[in-house]
This record gives sequence, structure tokens and C-alpha cells, in this order.
Amino acid sequence: MTISIAPTQPPQTRSAVAAQARDVVKIYGRGDTAVRALDGASLSIPAGRFTAVMGPSGSGKSTLMHALAGLDTVDAGQVLLGDTDLSRLGERQRTLLRRERIGFVFQSFNLVPTLSAVENIVLPLTLAGRQPDQAWIDELVATLGLADRLRHRPTELSGGQQQRVAVARALAPRPEIVFADEPTGNLDSRAGEALLGFLRHAAHELAQTIVMVTHDPNAAAYADRVVFLADGRVVDDLPEPTVPTILSRMASLDAPALRKKK
Amino acid sequence: MWRLTIRNTLARRARLALTLLAVVLGVTFVTGSLILTDTSQRLLDDQFRTATAGVDLTVRDAAAFDSAMGVEVERDPLPATIVDRIRAVPGVATARPLVRGQGLLSVGGKAIVPSGASVLASWEPAPVGAFSLRAGHPPVTDDELVVDAETALRRHIDLGDTVTVRAEQTTSLRIVGLAGFGDGPGLPNSTVGLVNLPTAQRLLKLGGDVSEVAVVAADGVDTQQLRGRVSAVLGPGYEVSASRDIAASSAAAAKTQVDYLQMMLFALAAAALLVGAFLIANTFSIVITQRTRELAVLRAAGATGAQVLGSVLGEALLVGVTASVAGTGLGVATAAGLRNLAGAFGIALPDGGLVVAPRTAIVAFAIGVGVTIVSAIGPARRAAAVAPVEAMRSAAAPSGRIRTVTGWIVTALGVTALIAVLAGTGSLALVGAAALSGVVGLTLLGPALTPGLARIMGRPLDAAGVPGRLARESAARAPRRTAATALALAFGLALISFMTVLATSIKDSVQQTYTEVISADYVIESARNEMLGGLPNHVHHHVSELPEVAVASRLRYGHWKDGQATDALTAVDPVTLPRVTSLHMVAGNLNAISGGGIILAERVARERHLAIGDSLPMTFSRTGTQRLPVVGLLRDRDAQALSTNYVISLDTFSRHYKENVDASVFVKVADGVSDAAAKKAINAALADAPTAQLRDQAAAVAGRTLMIDQVLGLVTALLMLTILIALMGITNTLALSIIERTREIGLLRAVGMTSGQLRWMIRGEAVLVAGLAIALGVSLGIAFAAGTVAALGRTAELALVVPPGRLLLVVAVAALAGLLAGLLPARRAAKLDVLTAIATS
Repeated sequence: MTISIAPTQPPQTRSAVAAQARDVVKIYGRGDTAVRALDGASLSIPAGRFTAVMGPSGSGKSTLMHALAGLDTVDAGQVLLGDTDLSRLGERQRTLLRRERIGFVFQSFNLVPTLSAVENIVLPLTLAGRQPDQAWIDELVATLGLADRLRHRPTELSGGQQQRVAVARALAPRPEIVFADEPTGNLDSRAGEALLGFLRHAAHELAQTIVMVTHDPNAAAYADRVVFLADGRVVDDLPEPTVPTILSRMASLDAPALRKKK
Repeated sequence: MWRLTIRNTLARRARLALTLLAVVLGVTFVTGSLILTDTSQRLLDDQFRTATAGVDLTVRDAAAFDSAMGVEVERDPLPATIVDRIRAVPGVATARPLVRGQGLLSVGGKAIVPSGASVLASWEPAPVGAFSLRAGHPPVTDDELVVDAETALRRHIDLGDTVTVRAEQTTSLRIVGLAGFGDGPGLPNSTVGLVNLPTAQRLLKLGGDVSEVAVVAADGVDTQQLRGRVSAVLGPGYEVSASRDIAASSAAAAKTQVDYLQMMLFALAAAALLVGAFLIANTFSIVITQRTRELAVLRAAGATGAQVLGSVLGEALLVGVTASVAGTGLGVATAAGLRNLAGAFGIALPDGGLVVAPRTAIVAFAIGVGVTIVSAIGPARRAAAVAPVEAMRSAAAPSGRIRTVTGWIVTALGVTALIAVLAGTGSLALVGAAALSGVVGLTLLGPALTPGLARIMGRPLDAAGVPGRLARESAARAPRRTAATALALAFGLALISFMTVLATSIKDSVQQTYTEVISADYVIESARNEMLGGLPNHVHHHVSELPEVAVASRLRYGHWKDGQATDALTAVDPVTLPRVTSLHMVAGNLNAISGGGIILAERVARERHLAIGDSLPMTFSRTGTQRLPVVGLLRDRDAQALSTNYVISLDTFSRHYKENVDASVFVKVADGVSDAAAKKAINAALADAPTAQLRDQAAAVAGRTLMIDQVLGLVTALLMLTILIALMGITNTLALSIIERTREIGLLRAVGMTSGQLRWMIRGEAVLVAGLAIALGVSLGIAFAAGTVAALGRTAELALVVPPGRLLLVVAVAALAGLLAGLLPARRAAKLDVLTAIATS
């Protein structure tokens, strides 16, 4: 792990755990229609690593990510980002935390259409009124191959380029953690592979903690570790995943999940 | 398809609510105006018909015309002996002498000054007289008075009270009765004093003469034939008219004063509807843009383009009909309020039961439904053009090339016309044409110009960081929407700025010419803004005899007919006038009018190709057509200070007019007398003329510009309604734009935009739209005011004056209102749930 570009945070917050969920419960709706999206989910995200979260539809993987990212509140349990307990924060504090300490890459509609690529990249910084670190931005842009696309509007970029701009935007404030929600879902396989390659590169070479939610085993295989969710709980953990190992774990998970639903 | 249309409309009722409100307000305005003017006219008709209900013929002194500029002419009195001659005509059942004039009532030393007339008349029992006793008994002896029940109620006058009547003579009389008029307790905005015939003659100094003779035909006698017979007996010096005709012509004269208010209200209703039309078109096009996918599905399912068009227009029809129903109802409710508003600004209208003619409802519906449907045609056609396979389409439809080019051409035509007017070669009609093409041209050009303008105007928003930038870009990115929203507000603001600049220019020039020409220390004028002044003639007499006064010179106004048109003239005293004014004669001299001649304003002489030695044919009510020799030419500014373009002597005036009231008395204080002493002495001399007011120069100018202030006040108050509609447009547009940009807002919130920043982004856009409207509206207003001033300047002394203070006030109010308009949508955007916003596809 080369730390050629030093993270802004002191090393102790970069300890083994970047984020943590402890017995998190999230319930949607009330009474008979209530759905327990998260039902005692616990998870630790190790710092400087690339973690994939997988699970069938309705397993709560997106909800867990939203909770970890401070996009949503939880009904019980604790969510920690570094030493910060997100469940104790108000809406405004969570917003500030998101723009200071968290990066996002969504499946689609990652960019503000009226801003150019470079403006989108520095958006969280400008919203916070911070000066971007130009050398860092330049390096991100160069690594992601966006140098000749900076002045373009999102509509003038290909899908792959748009997602790479989104990744640059997520990394620009040097967040403690980057969440990617199906980042390759709308890309063709070549563009998807390039993006996943870069995410892995960011984790390994830039010590960036990354959490990716996906249902695609090929995408998850790029991660250092895969966490499986079912029925609102973490049910399995697979280090050093490969496509075949992922597929076999998924097969064993799917069957009981289906049985339970019936 | 029809059921789908209804379901669609209901499903979007919140979204259409504001559109609905815009149409409702426009229709309310139209309905209210129609009802108000219908009611005023009906009341006037009723009043004059009631006045002559029991009379068949009326005999008066002959006159060349009945009324001018809404004022009935005064006629010479008739000798009382005529009554017996009329009675002798076969077929006459009754002939009654009547006396009628002006008599101001005072109670407990306080004069009652109504906004209308102070009627003093001889009592005449029904059926000839229109007044009927409500209490007490008729005036029999010379010290008895009957007043109308309405005035008695308002002024707490009871039977047995003493009331002073000021006519040509002043007398205190005892109240012996209260009278009603027709069904009502009195005449609108008037006081009525009824005395016996000899008292009326004495108070009005008529000697034994009477004002007119009322004739009732015997049963079975044809009125027209009787009229011929009476006319033949009396000879050409008298006018015998069917009372019905007199009622009609009196009502028509009174109505001309209502007409201009109606014109004004209609113009304002048109402005409100124009602004409303923008809002409607905007809402429909946004709703349709949002429904593109749904429409595509409809088309894919086999709906034809015509069906889609019909569905959207059907929606517009529903909105239009609903709004028209509500607007008509509200219009009925607001008509009375509108009357009070006009009253608050000094424009008195008769009060009484509201008249809702079927025509009012028809017009209201035609306009409400028509405007809605016409506004929806553009969006509906775009909806029909949605291709079945179209899943998504680019956010901004490219603005049409033809539209832009046409817009440039039309705008250029308007600008050329305006420049021609400013260069001094255009008429008022050309200004109107320029304004029309300006409105049309800018409407067409709007979408093409908006992105650039929004980016330039939005520069200051960059100071607010990303939210400001995004606000600017959002406005620039949806040019059609931004343009329509901003234009709606701009036109409202343009009208207000136009009125403000024009009124200020006129007031300023009135003040300038007045202070330049009139050198008098004081002027005495009637506090009631009557057409001819209405200052009792003894005022001049009393004031000129004061030792503190060096000279008092009076002015009178009169109407005359110039072919079909009516014009006014001023009568002056050529001996004293030069001592209170500094007149500049271009040719001849003022004294020459003593010989019966006339002095013309220089411009009038030029237009009529008249020079000294020529003569001008003028028709007077009393003396018919006379040729007056032109004896001098007066500088235009000076003529304007004397209020007319035609100046004759007071002697000439008394030959042609019966009217015996002064318009103004100019006073020069004697040397060595202090202002305070002079004021005190003059005010003491005015004690028996309660309506007379002593004014210094500033007050005199204010009196002359009062009417302008009244109209400006009323128009501005009503134009605020247009602004309100336009602001609702901003709210509506932003609310819809937020729905459109839900995902973008979700993204911004996810990456760290605080709800405060988001709120400022939305408010910033609102203020930017308002800013665009302000820049455009105020410059349009000033430009067209300049054009109007230039066009009017060809026939009057007028220079453009732009009041920075008042315009800045308009700008500040509009900007603040823009901010307010953004509050609701901003709050709504800030409340959007981040997750839901991200998840929205």
C-alpha cells in the first residue's frame, strides 16, 4: 500500500474499521404493511479496502448502504462512521458529514446536467466552500482519463465517461469512505470493467475505503471481500472472492431465502 | 378519451390550481368591471327616468346643445308668464313652473359637500315632482325646507333642525320634511334641498322667472302632437322636449363620466388576462413535457395525434369553464369592492343594487374559456406531435427558428415605430402599434433571448456559490418556461412603470408651466373638482375688495362645440390678468379681447391656419354659432397654464354663457402685507363660501394634478393584481420545475447540498426571473412612456420625466415579491426526501 498521497485524516481514524453497523433495524411503513428492511444487520467496513455488498432484491443491501452513508436514519442499532455515531446526527449534520467525509457513485444520474464535468467533480467541495486540492484533482482526472473531457456537459459524455466523472467527484474531497450503488449497472461490460478496475486501484493504491452494492458477481469479484445480505441481515462474508465462489455462495443463500419468503 | 381527460385534470388539480387562479382573477376583473359599469349606467338611467316619470313635456329655454364633456349646460330662465300661455294650449292637463339650481347645505356651521351635486329645487308634489315625502310635510312657507332622507340620515338632521342654504343668496331654513327620490332615500352622492317656489326664486335670484315648465298632457292626447302645438304657441325662443328624451340625454351625459372608467377597467382586465395567458400556456407546456412518456404510451396504444390534441384541449376547456364559473361569482362579489376602491381614489360612482346582465356572464365565459383554450393550443400541438416511440426527450425543446426570425422582425418593426415617434414624427396610434408589436415580438423572441440574458443577469448570483450558479443555469436551461414566466411579470411591471413615468411627466409639466406663467401669490379654487370650477361668483367680489389684496383676477371655463367635437375655452379679465401672470403673446396683445375677439394658442392657430384678422366659428349652447375674430396668439406653454387653447374676455363670456361660477381667482397680495395677514384676511372673506379653498402655488398645482394622481392610484392598485398573477406564475413554474428536477435535487442533497443552500438555489431562480422581468418591464415602460410623451408633446407642452424614486420602489417591490414567490417552492424542494428523490426514475 503506497501512501504517496497522504490522506487528510490522522492515522488513528484510519484504523482497521472505517464504518460500522451494529444491530441496525429499519422498518418501512406501519402496522400490517410494515416491512423490516433491516433486521439486526451488523457489519464492519475495514479501512482502505474494497468491500462489495451483495444480496437478492429486497435483502436490504441498498437500505444498509443508505444508513451507512447517512442518507437515511435507522430505527434501532448504531451506525458509526469512524468515531461518529450517525444515529445521533440531525439532518443538517448528516448533510455536512456527507459532503465532508463520504463520496457517492450512483447507478445513474450522477451528474448535475447544467455543470461541466470538472464542475461536477469539485461540486461537494464548492458546496462546502472549500478550495479543491488541484494536484489531487489533476491526478484523479489523469488516472480516470478525463483530461480532454473536463469542459463537457454530462449530456456530451458517454455513459462510461459519466460514471468516471462520478467516481472522480466521489474521490475529490478525499472522503473517508466511498459508497457505490450498482455503479456499473448501466454500462456495457468494457466500460464497466474499466470502472471497477479503477475502484480497485483507488482502494489498493490510494488507500481509499470503498463500499459497493451490486448484484453482479462479475463486479463483486473485483472487491477484496464480499458481504452477503438476506432478509435484512448479514448472512455471509467471503474474503478474496472470485466469480465461481461468489456464485456458489449465492446459490446457497437464494434457496433458504426463497423458502423463508413462502 | 373524454373520461381520461377528466381523470387527468383531476389528478393534476394541485398543479392546475394556480393556473385556475390566474384565469379566475382575470374573469373576476372582467365581470367586476362589467357589473360595475352596468350598474352605474342603470342607476343613472333610473335616476333620470324617475326624475321625469310623471311629466310628458318639458319647456326650457332654447339651447344649441344639451351637454358637453358630461356637464349639462345652464340655460336662461323663463318668464313666469309663459306658464299661463302653456296652460291655454288645448290638450295640456297641467303646466307647473319648476326652479332648479345649486344650493349648498350647512348644518351647525359645517357645510355638507357631497362628491356630486348640491341640488336646490322648488317642491312640486307628485306626479310632476319626482320627490315624495317620507316624513313631515312639504315646504309651504318661506322659511321651510325639505331635505332628502339619505342626507338627513348621514348628517343626523331631524325635523325642526335649522339648515343653512347657500345659493345666490344665503338663508337659514327650518326642516319640515324628509323626502325620498323614487324608491330610494335620495340622489346618489348628492344632497337635495327642496323649498317652495318663491323661496327657490329668491335664493337663486331669479326674480319671477322659472327654470323650466313641466307639462302633463290630458288623457288621450298624443305627446308628440301636443309638443308641436306648444312649440308653435311659444315660438322659436323655447325648446319643448319630450321628458323621456331629456332623461335619456341627461343620463347619456352623466354616463360619459362612467365610460372612461369602463375603458380603463377593460384595459386593465385585458392586461390581467394577457399575463394570465402566459401562465396558462406555461403550465400546460410543463405538464405536457412531464407527461411526454404517458402521451407516448397513449400514442403507442393507438391514440391518434388528434385524440391527444383533443385530450389536452379538453383539459383546458375544463379549467376554463371552472375558472369562468368561479370568476363570474367572484366578479359579482368584487364589483362593490371595485366601486369602493374607485371611491377611495376619489372617483365617485352611484351606489345601488348590482346589475348582472346576461351579457356579463356570456362575456366572462367567452373570455375565460377562450383565453385558456388559446393559451393551451401551442402546448397541445406539441403534445400531439409526441412520437409513439419517444421515451425520453431532451430537457429543452429547441426554440423554433421561424419563431425567432419572426420575433426579430416584429420587434424590429416595433422599435422602428418607437424611434419614429421619439424623433417627433409619430402619433399616439403609432405608439400603440409599437407597443403591440413589442409585446408580440418579445413573446416570440423570449425563448431565444432568455439563456443569454439569464446568464448575464444572473452573474451576481455567482457570489452565492454553487446554489447561485445552479439557479442561473436552471433558468437559462428552460428558456421557454423562464421566458414565459418573466414576460408575464414584465408586462405587468411595464404597465406600472409606463403609468408612473407618464403621470410624473404630465404632473411635472403642469407644475412647470404653472409656476412659470402664473405669478399670483395665491389662487382660490373650489375644493370640489368640478368641471367648470364651481367657485361662487361672490368670492371674487369679496376678495378683490380686501385692502390686503393688490389685485384679484378671475378665470372662467366654458364649453363650446367645434363642429361635432366639444372643446373648452377660458375667459379672463384682460386688465387684471397681466398683474397675476407673465403671459407671452406671440402676436397681438391681451387687451384686444375686450372687443369680443379671441386669442388662440400658437399651435392651434397654426393647425387651423388662422392668423390675426381671421375669424373662428364657435357654437355656444346659448347663442348658437358665432364667428369670433382672432385678435392674438399666445405662447403654447402659457395657454396650457390657463388650461385651454382659447382665451376670451369675461364680457364675451357673459354674452354667450349663463354659467355664473368662477374656475379660479388669482390673488396678488398688496405690498407690505405679510403672508399670514393676507391669508387670514382672505380666509375670512371666504367664510360664506365653504367650498372655496385658498391655495398657494404648490397646492394649486396639486389641485390641477389631483385627477392624474387619482387615476394613477387606481390603476396602480388594480395593476398590482396583474403582478400578483405573474408572481403566482413564478411560484407555479418553480414548483413544476422542482418536480422535473427531483433527481437532480436528490443528487445535490446526497453529495452535500444543505437544505438551506437548496432553498437559496430555488429562491435565487425566482429572484432571477423577477430580475429579468424587472429589467425588461421597467425599460419597456420607460421607453413607451417616452414614446407617448413624444407623441403627446406634439399637441401639448410635455417633457419626459423619469422618477427614479418611484421606479426604484417598483423595482424593490417586484424583487421582494419575486423572493416571496420562491419561498413556497423552495420550502417544498427542501422537504423532498433525499432517498425518494434519488430513487425517482
